[in-house]
Amino acid sequence: MELKVKDFESALKSLEEIVTRLEGGDLTLDKSLELFEEGVGISRFCNSKLAEAERKVEILMKSAEGNLKEAPFAAEEENPEA
Amino acid sequence: MDLFEQRKIYSVYEITSEIKKAVEKFGIVWIQGEISNFKRHSSGHIYFALKDERAQLKAAFFRNSNLYLKFKPEDGLEVLVRGRISVYEPRGDYQIIVEYMEPVGLGSLQLAFEQLKEKLRKEGLFDEARKRPLPLLPQKIGIVTSPTGAAIRDMLRILARRNASLHVLIYPARVQGEGAAREIVEGIRYLNSRQDLDVIIVGRGGGSIEDLWAFNEEIVARAVCDSRIPVISAVGHEVDFTISDFVADLRAPTPSAAAEMVSGAREDLMATVQSLQGRLVRAVRGGIETRRLALERLARNRAFYVAPGKIREFQQRFDEAALRAAQTIHRRLARARQREQVAHTRLVKLNLGQALLHRKEIVAGLSLRLTTAVQACLERARARTQMASGRINALSPLAILERGYAICRDGKGQIVRDSVRVAVGENVEVKLARGELFCRVNQIKEN
Repeated sequence: MELKVKDFESALKSLEEIVTRLEGGDLTLDKSLELFEEGVGISRFCNSKLAEAERKVEILMKSAEGNLKEAPFAAEEENPEA
Repeated sequence: MDLFEQRKIYSVYEITSEIKKAVEKFGIVWIQGEISNFKRHSSGHIYFALKDERAQLKAAFFRNSNLYLKFKPEDGLEVLVRGRISVYEPRGDYQIIVEYMEPVGLGSLQLAFEQLKEKLRKEGLFDEARKRPLPLLPQKIGIVTSPTGAAIRDMLRILARRNASLHVLIYPARVQGEGAAREIVEGIRYLNSRQDLDVIIVGRGGGSIEDLWAFNEEIVARAVCDSRIPVISAVGHEVDFTISDFVADLRAPTPSAAAEMVSGAREDLMATVQSLQGRLVRAVRGGIETRRLALERLARNRAFYVAPGKIREFQQRFDEAALRAAQTIHRRLARARQREQVAHTRLVKLNLGQALLHRKEIVAGLSLRLTTAVQACLERARARTQMASGRINALSPLAILERGYAICRDGKGQIVRDSVRVAVGENVEVKLARGELFCRVNQIKEN
């Protein structure tokens, strides 16, 4: 199923809407199963976004040509008093 | 006459120059007064008058002196100026050439702050409606700050401690002193040119009002306003407020707090998504359960007891009818098959009678020919066998002896074919067709 949502906010919002509609309970069985399927897809998307973990710290450095390039940034975490 | 002789005639210029010399003897003076008739020339020079209740004094504040003025002089503002009194000869105006100006009452930075704040507020840049919420789950954030300052260390420490799965991109910028505001603006603009950032944090650690000043500059405030990406302003300590705090989408009391703002939500969101998943499943299960119960209730309705009975009755009648129909068909089929078989048998018998007769004749002829041929074969074989056995007899040594030949063997039983093989006086055995002779050699004749 192609998800209509692309970002986490709208995904969470439509998941909430689907749950609310389902809990309303005045849907046909077909419709509720269709919504259920959509809801499962969206919650899977939300979970994947939550799991996407990229812990990285970079700093922009100016190259000789004047372009900005990312470089790893070594934080002085070990020495907070410095 | 004497008066006439004595009189000294000045040109306008000469007397003006004299006056100028006299006036300039005042040297450097401090004057307090209210600004009026304020004009900024496109060249950057400022002209105005200082006045009080009873007098006014023209003033010129040239560009090279007013360049670093923090606040904006305006009509009605009470100021203290330092400068030299001089005369502008082309007009004959005496005026003060201002070298320094400060507001009376507030400090000049404080005044500048209030002035810019008021100006931007009037433009609506502080309106709550302008402010965007932070994304719930930022994946990548940009930070404009000094790479060596306390702020970045604090922020990274918080992010690490909270185990925030964030990609952080630092735009290194000076955050105080000459050129700092420009670098901060460039940072905000550069980060906005990228498509991969969810939030920008602009900030620095604590310091004096002078240290934090870059964040009170109008260009920084405008860059923050213009940012497409939501901006968190995180400048100094909790008590420090800067213009960028007012225009940013969110003010963090400290850089550490900003780090917490961007990293706090993940755990909560996981719980939220999980609870929504649970509700989703329960809602659908509930929907199905409700229907099942409704169905059961309906099934218990008397109407459904009657109907099944009728249905069963119909079913039975149908089955019976179907059975009868099948039996009829079977019977008819069987009868038809029987008739067909009888006809078939007759037909076959008729044909076979003719064919058999014909074939018997053929077989009889063939078997006669076969017998004759076999007998002839046997006869030929017998004759050949007899001939062969006669020839075998002729070849047998016994048959040769029968014709009068004898076999002579020496004492060792060897057949003697040459007379030199035996010596005179030696005994030999001579085998005849019937019986043997034991002889002694009397004489030998070589061939």
